[in-house]
Amino acid sequence: MRTLRAHRWFALLTMTRVLGAALAIVLLLAHRVTHADPLLAVITAVWTPLSLWTLRRTEDWEWAPAVWAADGLAALGLVLSGGDWRSPFYVFTLTTLVLPATSLPWRAAFAWGLGSSALYGAVAWLTEKLPADTLSNTIRLETLATHLFVPVIVTTTLAYSSLLLDRLRVARSHSERLALQAERQRIAWELHDSAKQRVHAAHLMLSALDADAGDTHNRALLDGALAELRNATADMETSVAELRTPLDGRPVDELLRERADELSRTGVARIDVRGRLPSLPPLVAAHTYRIAAEALTNAVRHAGCTAIEVTLAASPDMIRLTIADDGVGMPAEPRPGGHGLRSMHGRAETIGADLRIGPGPGGHGTSVALALPTPGGSP
Amino acid sequence: MIRLLIVDDHPAMRAGLTAVLRAEPGIVPLGAASSEDDLPAMLERTSPDVVLLDYHLPGADGLKLCRRMKREQPAPAVLLYSAYADSAMVVPAILAGADGLMNKSAPAPELFDALRAVARGDRVLPPVPRELLEHAGTRIEAEDQPILAMMIDGTSPAEVADTLRIDQRDVARRIDGMIERLRVEIAAVQA
Repeated sequence: MRTLRAHRWFALLTMTRVLGAALAIVLLLAHRVTHADPLLAVITAVWTPLSLWTLRRTEDWEWAPAVWAADGLAALGLVLSGGDWRSPFYVFTLTTLVLPATSLPWRAAFAWGLGSSALYGAVAWLTEKLPADTLSNTIRLETLATHLFVPVIVTTTLAYSSLLLDRLRVARSHSERLALQAERQRIAWELHDSAKQRVHAAHLMLSALDADAGDTHNRALLDGALAELRNATADMETSVAELRTPLDGRPVDELLRERADELSRTGVARIDVRGRLPSLPPLVAAHTYRIAAEALTNAVRHAGCTAIEVTLAASPDMIRLTIADDGVGMPAEPRPGGHGLRSMHGRAETIGADLRIGPGPGGHGTSVALALPTPGGSP
Repeated sequence: MIRLLIVDDHPAMRAGLTAVLRAEPGIVPLGAASSEDDLPAMLERTSPDVVLLDYHLPGADGLKLCRRMKREQPAPAVLLYSAYADSAMVVPAILAGADGLMNKSAPAPELFDALRAVARGDRVLPPVPRELLEHAGTRIEAEDQPILAMMIDGTSPAEVADTLRIDQRDVARRIDGMIERLRVEIAAVQA
């Protein structure tokens, strides 16, 4: 009973019920066949807005079906008080089927329609206006049959439409999601395949200048430019990763716990994650998560450790992440061609964080400590 | 003097590499190929000592081209050059017969050193992490594991065939199979 669906069908209910009530009032006051009953007309005029208001209030409630049932019974009550099953309230009674037919699962809706028909039959019998020759009088029989079958037909049709609309909505959101995904892949591919290659080329060319830059000022400028290019690469890598497997705004600590569980399952080391992090702006969150995830992967792959401890702590002005393992520690020489540490430092620099990678407490294992100023916190 | 051939699909990378390497004494870039289609003709014409080979190429990737070049006699030294020289790529790179693996974000002096090292016949490969090797072992056929172990130690496919007393073509086929299986891992790391 989602709100969007309820709104659309509630409009249909309002329209038909007002129409049904108007028809009933006109027939009660003016028609020659039914006996004039101003009191019942007034009751109808009051009950219609009251019932709509109640249904509107309760449409999202869990026991809304009980309210719909009460609404249906009230309409049958009107039919009964009119004294004839060929009632001015017939259309009005049909409107009580709109919400159950469109909100319930289709089998339940169909049962509801059958139930309504049966109840109408009971009412017809209670009005004692079924002449003895009903079964042999074709016209009377036809009228009764119509009265009894229309509720089933109305319910089935509405339930079917509602089902189709639902399927259509699901299909549309699915195809929208696919289109979005394809678009993300394309952007990721372009970033990786073109922009990043150009940045690599620029970095390579500038880094070749390095040895010739004797002047300290030029040297500082050159180092700055190289650092910026590395940061650009780090930004692009995070963006590409984000585009391919987005964090979707989920909190960093939750994602880290998930990643830790995943890595624990490989059975290499036990990973404990302690503490919480406040929510971070998207780019900061993405970089932070990827630095920590890289540190975890490194520990599992290279440290030869049995336990990894991740500590998350936040104070009003600083956020600290520590990933400590009990492994063999860092090699004296960085691995040739290794890229992980460089990209971790690049990412840390991009978000203005301090990243320290070194021996753990007491000189055992490796500790990766990231400290970043709380975004929007006191300076 | 190192006679060098560059293979990279991006024009900026080709131009950058050529410019930087031309200025470096002792290294002579002979040309730059952009895909597997240009490569055979350029290899034929230049017969380089070292090939600097991008991993991501349209069509056949760096691993495949490396395998192909290493079958030639005499085979050039191959330095795989990638924006993702992650440790997941080490095992496939060794299997493909690469002499080195280098990240594109490394500064130029590191690249020069690596090129000189592979030209001398050294290997410039990060050590293979134990966990990664064990993992690679579970991904391949059990009967291929001795081949993998020997190749990680730097044994050439010809020696592997000799030691295990199997046909060289059989070894080659099994190496190709292992690379295919492990390539999936690389894709997963990049995703």
